[in-house]
Amino acid sequence: MAEITGIYTASHTPVMLNFPDRIPAELKDEIFGAYKAMGDDFMSGKPDALIVLSNDHLHNFFLDNFPAYCIGCAESYESPIEHWLHAKRRVFAGDQAFGAYLLQEAYQADFDPSFSMEMVLDHGSLTPLELAGVDPDLPIVPVLINCVQPPMPTMRRSYALGQFLGRAIRAYEGVDRVAILATGGISHDIATPRMGMVNEEFDQTFLTLMEKGDIEGTLRYATDFVHTAGNGCEEIRMWMAAMGAADGAPFRRAYYRAVNDWYTGIGIGRFEV
Amino acid sequence: MANWQEMMPSTRAYLMNKVLYELHHKPDDLAAYKADAEAYLARFGLPQDLADCIRNNDVANMYLTGVNPYLLRAHCIGVRIPEDVSLAALRSLLTHEDYNNG
Ligand SMILES: [Fe+2]
Repeated sequence: MAEITGIYTASHTPVMLNFPDRIPAELKDEIFGAYKAMGDDFMSGKPDALIVLSNDHLHNFFLDNFPAYCIGCAESYESPIEHWLHAKRRVFAGDQAFGAYLLQEAYQADFDPSFSMEMVLDHGSLTPLELAGVDPDLPIVPVLINCVQPPMPTMRRSYALGQFLGRAIRAYEGVDRVAILATGGISHDIATPRMGMVNEEFDQTFLTLMEKGDIEGTLRYATDFVHTAGNGCEEIRMWMAAMGAADGAPFRRAYYRAVNDWYTGIGIGRFEV
Repeated sequence: MANWQEMMPSTRAYLMNKVLYELHHKPDDLAAYKADAEAYLARFGLPQDLADCIRNNDVANMYLTGVNPYLLRAHCIGVRIPEDVSLAALRSLLTHEDYNNG
């Protein structure tokens, strides 16, 4: 039986690595400090494995075959796949047995994810791990949700997938301590006329609903208002999955700021499991 | 405005997506494109207006084809269109009543 040591949620954007200086140095340091604080908190739980809930940004997957959900079952994951990303190349250890377990359990629980035994992770997984200072030798299992190309799975289904993941992780015998990092969102537009106009009101309402523990309200708000907060905000499906895995544990925001010059509402939080 | 232009990609958008995807993922494609954009784009049999907006780094018109925004964004960074140029091109399409109303 594995213990979940922490469930974290954090935004990601390649701009953090490619164009960090589009914002004042002080603000950049504050944000990088918030990621580092998340990483320190995360590592203090001494996890043996890490589930990374993230999304592929049309690098591993293309429109010839695009999975709604995909579970990584590789021994290792190179990163980054973007030739243009300003990040040093890294190889993350993969927990293949854990991935294979989650995949098979998912089918038993009537979920139908695809799986991948070879993926090169993109900035969506790499940036938060890098900024948090997570040890690349900590074995990971990527769980990717389509948030980038409609039609996409619903917020509610992503929440249900997270509920399943929480149950399956807690029942797993292969490791003792597991952390979850859900990354994406919050309000942001990618390559649209609205890019750089973060909808802070959406983000504040969303975070407040989560802090109130209003699961139904959060799911409804995410579903009904995501269209006001940008195509990048569709990535809150990962936050919905984290909320499912948290099984009612309270959510606390650690950091939030609407950063228009990074085009993104930067939010970091954790479920106090 | 809505988050997406098309809730299911049109064939035109698919063609644009295919070019921008292959250009930045196949090993020799970016070099081939830089060496001779017209010849590279001819491989795909694109309608001329689509080929033109790619070759001219016309971000606004690339956007209007319904191309996937992540592929467009990666292309803008990948072929080094200056950040402020691509932002201004996108912003030029924003009409006041569009903003955040869904
Ligand atoms: Fe993303």
